[in-house]
Amino acid sequence: MKILIDGIEIEAQPGETILEATRRTGIHIPTLCYHEAFGGQGSCRFCMVEVTKNGSSRVVASCTYPVNDGIEVKTSTPQIDKIRRNIAMLLYKRAPNSLFMQTLYKEYLCTENNLVEDPYEKCILCRLCVNACAAMGASAISTVMRGTDKRVATPYDDASAACIGCAACAEVCPTGCIEVQEDNNIRRIWNRDFTMVACEECGKNFATREQLAYIADRSKQEADADELRLCTNCRRKVLARKLETFNG
Amino acid sequence: METDALITNQSEELDAIINKYPGEKRYIMAIMHDISRHFNYLPRQALEATAQYTGVPFSQVYSMATFYKAFSLVPRGRVHFKVCDGTTCHIKGSQIIIDEICSRLNIKPGETTADLQFSLETVNCIGACAIAPALLANGKVHPHLNAAGIRQVIAEYGGPEYGKKE
Repeated sequence: MKILIDGIEIEAQPGETILEATRRTGIHIPTLCYHEAFGGQGSCRFCMVEVTKNGSSRVVASCTYPVNDGIEVKTSTPQIDKIRRNIAMLLYKRAPNSLFMQTLYKEYLCTENNLVEDPYEKCILCRLCVNACAAMGASAISTVMRGTDKRVATPYDDASAACIGCAACAEVCPTGCIEVQEDNNIRRIWNRDFTMVACEECGKNFATREQLAYIADRSKQEADADELRLCTNCRRKVLARKLETFNG
Repeated sequence: METDALITNQSEELDAIINKYPGEKRYIMAIMHDISRHFNYLPRQALEATAQYTGVPFSQVYSMATFYKAFSLVPRGRVHFKVCDGTTCHIKGSQIIIDEICSRLNIKPGETTADLQFSLETVNCIGACAIAPALLANGKVHPHLNAAGIRQVIAEYGGPEYGKKE
């Protein structure tokens, strides 16, 4: 089907979202809670676009809105810009301690107001960490409470038995609010300590013991498998060496 | 309030509640309601058992338990006060009632007295605006309250101030 994005006609596939189709054209729609690995959540509303069909137009979240034939999409209008500026302002007010939100606040030319700030807060509740944890299979963290008390945490804020210390949550967090401390081969995350395992080639710490045990259990690999002994860099090198001598 | 491990016969009661339902995600709410009714709150051990039984991560069950106001993670008192703090009751002085309960029983909203006799919760509207300010004590409505009235209600249910502690 053909759809029009900011005046450019492109071919879109049924089932695709507006955001996915738009990314292929090179036109940028800003997002916060979207990640390629998890798809659209439609929770931050930062990716709002204006969709016109049969003469009537509405504002939708492009990360969850499926394309349909003959729609015309505008990714930036005064109305859309205002929505994004408001979201940037509100999320900054929620998480003023995050450098990411401070930058966004300036970038969107938000105006001062007297909404109450929590000077220490960094989280914008995009839930990417929760999704990452679920995708890893651990599901150790989740959102708890609701409304203004809502936050991401382990059950009872205790060290979680389900956590494998992979730090995928911290990796995916846009605002850098998940704390990972590492010293003396101990990684501390979500109130729990994990022993780091060093790569057998380069000697750098690359995973936690619990993480490797989890991978071994899930993938049913032998204990001497490269995935359980080497970091991603060294695995690549080992593979390259194998390929050098490989001749059909 | 500590959420201590359940004692043996409570564990059996818990199993009996959970086993009434098939081990599927969609029964979590029903299971939690039954647990809450039986124990007057959701003990940690019960949430863990529910998670294991339904095959849902503990973090998600905990997320649900904290989301709904109907559930409490700390033991509620034998007498549970729900003080209406909706618009009408608020204007008619519900804060006086809340303050009086707090100072008499030495608890804040959401807390329970050490002897587990009383617990306090504020709610948004109990639909009793005509008799505001009102509160529910274990579901029974007490209308037109003031500071003296709430002292009487506390006395009626055996509050510590009135020497009628069970």
